[in-house]
Amino acid sequence: MTVRMGFVIITSRCIDCDACMVACRAENEVPIGFTRNWVTDSGAVGKFPIVKQMFEPGNCMHCEKPSCLSVCPTGATYKRADGIVLVDDTKCIGCKYCIEACPYDARFLNPVTGKADKCTFCLQRLEQGLKPACVQTCLGKARHSGDLNDPESVVSKLLNRYPARQLSPDAGTRPNIYYIDVPVAEIPSGT
Amino acid sequence: MHTEVTWGLLIVVYLFTAGVSAGAMVASNAAFLLGGDRYERVARWGAYLAPFPIAFGTGVLLLDLGSPLNFYHLFMTLQYKSPMSWGSWAILLFTLLSLLYLYLWLPPRYQVGHVIKRVRAWKGGLAKGMPILAVSVASYTGVLLNAADRPLWQIALLPELFLVSAMSTGVAAVGVAVALSRRWRASHEEKLSLALVDIVLVGIELLIFGAMMIDSQIGTLNQQLAYAVLWTGSYAAAFWIMIMILGLVVPLILKIVEVRGRLPWKWNEWVGLGSSLLVLVGGFFVRYVITYAGQMTGWLR
Repeated sequence: MTVRMGFVIITSRCIDCDACMVACRAENEVPIGFTRNWVTDSGAVGKFPIVKQMFEPGNCMHCEKPSCLSVCPTGATYKRADGIVLVDDTKCIGCKYCIEACPYDARFLNPVTGKADKCTFCLQRLEQGLKPACVQTCLGKARHSGDLNDPESVVSKLLNRYPARQLSPDAGTRPNIYYIDVPVAEIPSGT
Repeated sequence: MHTEVTWGLLIVVYLFTAGVSAGAMVASNAAFLLGGDRYERVARWGAYLAPFPIAFGTGVLLLDLGSPLNFYHLFMTLQYKSPMSWGSWAILLFTLLSLLYLYLWLPPRYQVGHVIKRVRAWKGGLAKGMPILAVSVASYTGVLLNAADRPLWQIALLPELFLVSAMSTGVAAVGVAVALSRRWRASHEEKLSLALVDIVLVGIELLIFGAMMIDSQIGTLNQQLAYAVLWTGSYAAAFWIMIMILGLVVPLILKIVEVRGRLPWKWNEWVGLGSSLLVLVGGFFVRYVITYAGQMTGWLR
């Protein structure tokens, strides 16, 4: 089976410390004022005494059918065989079409490079056998990454055991980040 | 949801000017093929106008790029899934051919060598071919937005709306030129025909907006929320005042007054000129409102 890289994010384990954003910025030299990943805050939802608040981390969803890729007029955006969506800076003209097309607003125009910028799955770390910086640094173990097609991966095991959802399925891009909202007491071991 | 604007005024100008050029070109082609010598002024001014708005818009577009010096990569490939790739080629071809078409319309002393004998045949050939390219360019501006994954931009009628709006603004631009020109001022018949064409086009545009209003009642929740930004949301004032009233209904009434010709002659001139300018303003705001409002709409989580 082909490799399908993706993330599983457990919202019940996120405490909105934003360490993933700091780690990403440090690892990838993301300019101040922009970010490749984020944590959204639902605020207080419901009415006392039944109230809840959810923190929802995110980044590029490395979609199966990425709209950023199909709109790119120069072929700068491409999808690797393992599913990771990347931008070839030499071909990017900075037209921002992909930034408009992304339903998750995961892209931005990097003012330093003049190119479309986004999460690269920390490719440089992946090649060293490491997890992405946001995953490694997550102290609540809310962020997980790996091959969604490999039954031995942490992400597959998590998805096997817990109900998960994707963001904005109506956008039709089949995103590769899955969200688990129920409490996860123990993280299974795996690749 | 998007809170900031990624595609701003420069893109709006680009979408608008491409439409004006396409419309002026089709007006010129139609006047030449269908009207012959009786519509010579319209055909001539259409040819003189067509290359410039789109060339200006393309220049403005380059300024909007993050890596302007890299723009040549657009023309080193054809990405068949990307409307912008198709559109870039279409606009390049349109601009080059419209310059050739303009050249053929210059007074005879500018025609060199063999060209002069064949000017009419070449004009005819281009006049038959250019409408296809012009319609592609005009509707491309709508397809461009269609492909970006945002609920408001996925309105199926967007290319049709932009096409009709492009034609009406092109005709209006030619109308302004032939009304102000000293040397090639339009005949009464030409002015009436231009006004009639704009009445039909503005009428169709109103019908398209009507269809969109029906669509907004029966669409998915995503679409309904997106449409609401236009009808009642943060772009409602621009939509109703600048597009519906000043850009469509008022010029429609003025054009009808102009065609009926009951007003004193001098007044009629001003009514014609004013209504054409309003059509141009309306066309600009169609691009402005759709481009900006579309960026405010997103999919439900």
